[in-house]
Amino acid sequence: MVEQGSLKMINLDVDVTVIGAGPAGLAAAISARENGAGEVIVLDRNSWLGGILPQCIHDGFGVEEIGTSMTGPEYADMYIKNAEKLGVTFFYETMVLQLFKNHEIIAVNKKGLHKIKAKSIVLAMGCREKTRWDVLIPGERPSGIYTAGVAQGFINLYNIMVGKNVVILGSGDVGLIVARRLRFEGANVKGVIEILPYASGLPRNVVQCLDDYNIPLYLNHTVAYIKGRERLESITIAQVDEKMEIIYGTEKEIKCDTLLLSLGLIPENELSKQVGIEIDTITGGPVVDQFFETTVKGIFACGNCLQVYDTVDILSIGAKQVGKNAAKYAVGETHEKIGFVKVTAGKGIRYVLPQQINKSGKVHFYLRVEQPKKTAVLRVFSGDVELLKKKLPWANPANMIEFDFNVSEKVLKSNKPLEVTIDDQ
Amino acid sequence: MQNFHVAIVGAGVIGSSIAWELSKYKLDVIVFEKGSDVSSGTSKANSGVIHSGINSPPSSLKARFCMEGNKMLQSLADSFGFSLKWTGKLVIAKNEDEVKELNRLKKVGNYNKVPGLEIKDGKEIKIQEPNVTCYKALWVPTAGIISPYEFTIAFAENAAVNNVNFLLETEVKDIQKNENNFLIETNNGKYQSKLLINAAGLNCRDIVSMLQTPDFEIYPCRGEYIVLDKTYSYLVNSMIYPVPPKEFGVLGVHITPTVEGNILLGPSAEFVDDSDDKRTTKKMMKNLLRKGKEIIPILPDKAVINAYSGVRCKLASPDEGGWADYRIEESKQTPNLINLLGIESPGLTAAPAIAKEVVKMISNSIDLKKKTVFKILKANKQRFSEMSSKKRSGLIKQDKRWGRVVCRCEHVTEAEVINALKNPLKAQTLSSVKYRCRAGMGRCQGGFCTQHIVRIMEEDLKIDVKEIKLKSPKSNLFYGRTRKLEND
Amino acid sequence: MINEKEITCIICPISCKISVRIDGKRLEVCKGNKCKKGIDYARSEALDPRRMLTSSVLVKNGEWPLVSVKGSEPIPKDKIFQVLKQIKQIKVDAPVKLGQNIIKNVSNTEINIIATKSVKRM
Repeated sequence: MVEQGSLKMINLDVDVTVIGAGPAGLAAAISARENGAGEVIVLDRNSWLGGILPQCIHDGFGVEEIGTSMTGPEYADMYIKNAEKLGVTFFYETMVLQLFKNHEIIAVNKKGLHKIKAKSIVLAMGCREKTRWDVLIPGERPSGIYTAGVAQGFINLYNIMVGKNVVILGSGDVGLIVARRLRFEGANVKGVIEILPYASGLPRNVVQCLDDYNIPLYLNHTVAYIKGRERLESITIAQVDEKMEIIYGTEKEIKCDTLLLSLGLIPENELSKQVGIEIDTITGGPVVDQFFETTVKGIFACGNCLQVYDTVDILSIGAKQVGKNAAKYAVGETHEKIGFVKVTAGKGIRYVLPQQINKSGKVHFYLRVEQPKKTAVLRVFSGDVELLKKKLPWANPANMIEFDFNVSEKVLKSNKPLEVTIDDQ
Repeated sequence: MQNFHVAIVGAGVIGSSIAWELSKYKLDVIVFEKGSDVSSGTSKANSGVIHSGINSPPSSLKARFCMEGNKMLQSLADSFGFSLKWTGKLVIAKNEDEVKELNRLKKVGNYNKVPGLEIKDGKEIKIQEPNVTCYKALWVPTAGIISPYEFTIAFAENAAVNNVNFLLETEVKDIQKNENNFLIETNNGKYQSKLLINAAGLNCRDIVSMLQTPDFEIYPCRGEYIVLDKTYSYLVNSMIYPVPPKEFGVLGVHITPTVEGNILLGPSAEFVDDSDDKRTTKKMMKNLLRKGKEIIPILPDKAVINAYSGVRCKLASPDEGGWADYRIEESKQTPNLINLLGIESPGLTAAPAIAKEVVKMISNSIDLKKKTVFKILKANKQRFSEMSSKKRSGLIKQDKRWGRVVCRCEHVTEAEVINALKNPLKAQTLSSVKYRCRAGMGRCQGGFCTQHIVRIMEEDLKIDVKEIKLKSPKSNLFYGRTRKLEND
Repeated sequence: MINEKEITCIICPISCKISVRIDGKRLEVCKGNKCKKGIDYARSEALDPRRMLTSSVLVKNGEWPLVSVKGSEPIPKDKIFQVLKQIKQIKVDAPVKLGQNIIKNVSNTEINIIATKSVKRM
């Protein structure tokens, strides 16, 4: 516990504090300034800005948003220059230690402890990677096991090669991109292991990272055992059934010295939990309303700490909206909350966001489905009444679905939850 | 060839505590440790429990040294500054039949003079442990928890600042004996010593074999553990042990809070052929979670942040019941060889008392003159995460590296990482950092801090990236460079 | 010579598998596509497959040891490893500016390798 009111702190009083200078924080800060906020500061724990972007040296960023395909560092640079032009102040190597309901922050960096007061706060802490123990992979505990993002950072930022004979667990985009990168750098990528019957990354990445280089993709497989006393020596993979349980007898040992884990991302919400923000256990991020305001007034959330996005483009669009909302809050333009309706994930829906509506009007929804569907019909109900029916060409858990829906005053005042469902027809 | 009064093989808790006791005397002492840091074997992979003495048969060495050691712990913690919490232990019984075992334990405890033992009713237990359901339980107030590697490191580093030589990554390959000395050949040179102390843990039999035919076998017995996230520390206040299984002298799967606020589930007990077989198995991990939930039904599945296993050095086979007493003796066949065999639970508790006993044992063979000047090195308890704002501000003014947090989960600063790397033992692996300042022990398991620790090793300590290791001599982290530098 | 190939379209997540027949420079799409975009993609992929190449170059005296780079245009697929080999041999001296040409006309492709980030001098 850190006591407030210590005489030795550096005191600041700003309009908006953004926590995290990754793509979400940058977009939110820019938008806050563009929408009337006075002083906007961004705090980041690293010595660089852009969060994960500087190590994402591959292209594919900005396609939907700007129409060109940039690399991560270029995309970051564009945002950073914009932010600097608008007078956003950045704090480097600064760690937020505590967040309070009254929007005060205690943060630390080499200059000392800071007590920062803000009229509104934007949470943009991003996410962390799932570890070996999140899925309990049995075996020995050698060196040579990394999460894919950490390995990518070493290879691209620090000029360090993590290994020579590599296996990747998880066919999400991070795993696929890193597979290709390692191949380019002379490593022997022996395979990508995926527990589902389909790859979870973009088809483009499956083609351009695996097929192009004949890197085998083992679908319906998982890692059953890790072998290595000191450095990794081999892994044993096995086929799984529909329940994702190992089918004994299908084990196959692959000799390797490096295992990269691309098992998924977990929104980083330690600060959110500390200040008592309600967390949605499915998204892993804060429960928000249509303004992306959390359950603590004046604290907003955006980016991967709110929900894990598929592309930075959609993330940035959302973050810009949040920055605008945080700015409006800071200058006193809060909207009157005239009703309250919960939004629930019904049949076939894994989660839907925002989880609460408190003003009538057009709301932009985000959701993910539970299972892949070749044909899909999206519906929105208020109680038993069907308010929306929308046909989708396909639906896939790995692709976030967005749709707009107009919440009427009648619906808002009914107090009946809005239920979103998906069906084959 | 360098000459020593005493050579110790093994820098686990036994070897390190003996080294520390010896460092009080004007002696030349050397310790050979084949791992990259002290506490590399059984000493780091256990429950971290300070036992009360109720589990050791009366008149056994285990009971004697457990009781003596237990009494020494608090003052050692005060001197060295390592963490120690007297959480107490509850041995819980589900039914009247199991209460018989509680009574038996109480009897043993009384015989061993364990104070404060009390059998409490389930309702009473609910008040002190709201999340635990049981019929009755034995309350053992003199049981506590420590961090076993912090404990071992405290002994070893204190011995080192008092001039004991520690050779890490040094494996004893061969030992000869002439009339006066042991001639010890290692991968790091040859040494001579008057006395030899065999504290090699799971390798104790190999050391004996170098000099004589051993009159014992060792039976490695593996115990798996699961570590739960700190968020769940509120679930228990003291250690919870269900009534121990009737088979082969192990304490059974229990719930142990750690001094840092995590929870350990375990250990299991499985005899293995290879003493180095420290694998974790899916079956056991699931089993531990299931057993944990039997005691605390609201324990969530998603709470696991790590799993590990440790191997105990047992002197009795499962057929023999798996229980044998410690063997702490001078070899009859090889004078001046002191063997410490089969030091399993309550080994951590017993260590400081065993160390004193070993010093007594060798006092006949060697002149023990106490030093007049003796240093006490307090464990680096300067933890940014536990400091007041005032203290933090002050330290940052003195050294701004206290202001840069490099481990997000545990709030560990750059200054603490550098201090950890500059330890008197010169142990410089990623684990060495982890065990001394906690960086890497949080829920992201090094996802953020690893890059920063590696950079600090490169920049501040000038360690070549190809030489950076995870925990043991050949556990290198990296293969080389993405792009070769000029001087590669 | 007539070549038959199966191309996995990457334009949208349906990932149609499109069969094509190549006769010299003439392409015939046989089947598999669900939309017109697939045909265009299959054509370029079958006749002149290219890839956006990204990699890193060693930096001397910089605040970072590497600078990320990319091809100014997509590079012919069959030249990728040749280009990578050339990229690995280059060293640049800091400061490096985003957009700066690191290699001109790499491996005779008429494509440049340009820096995608700036690296300050240390």
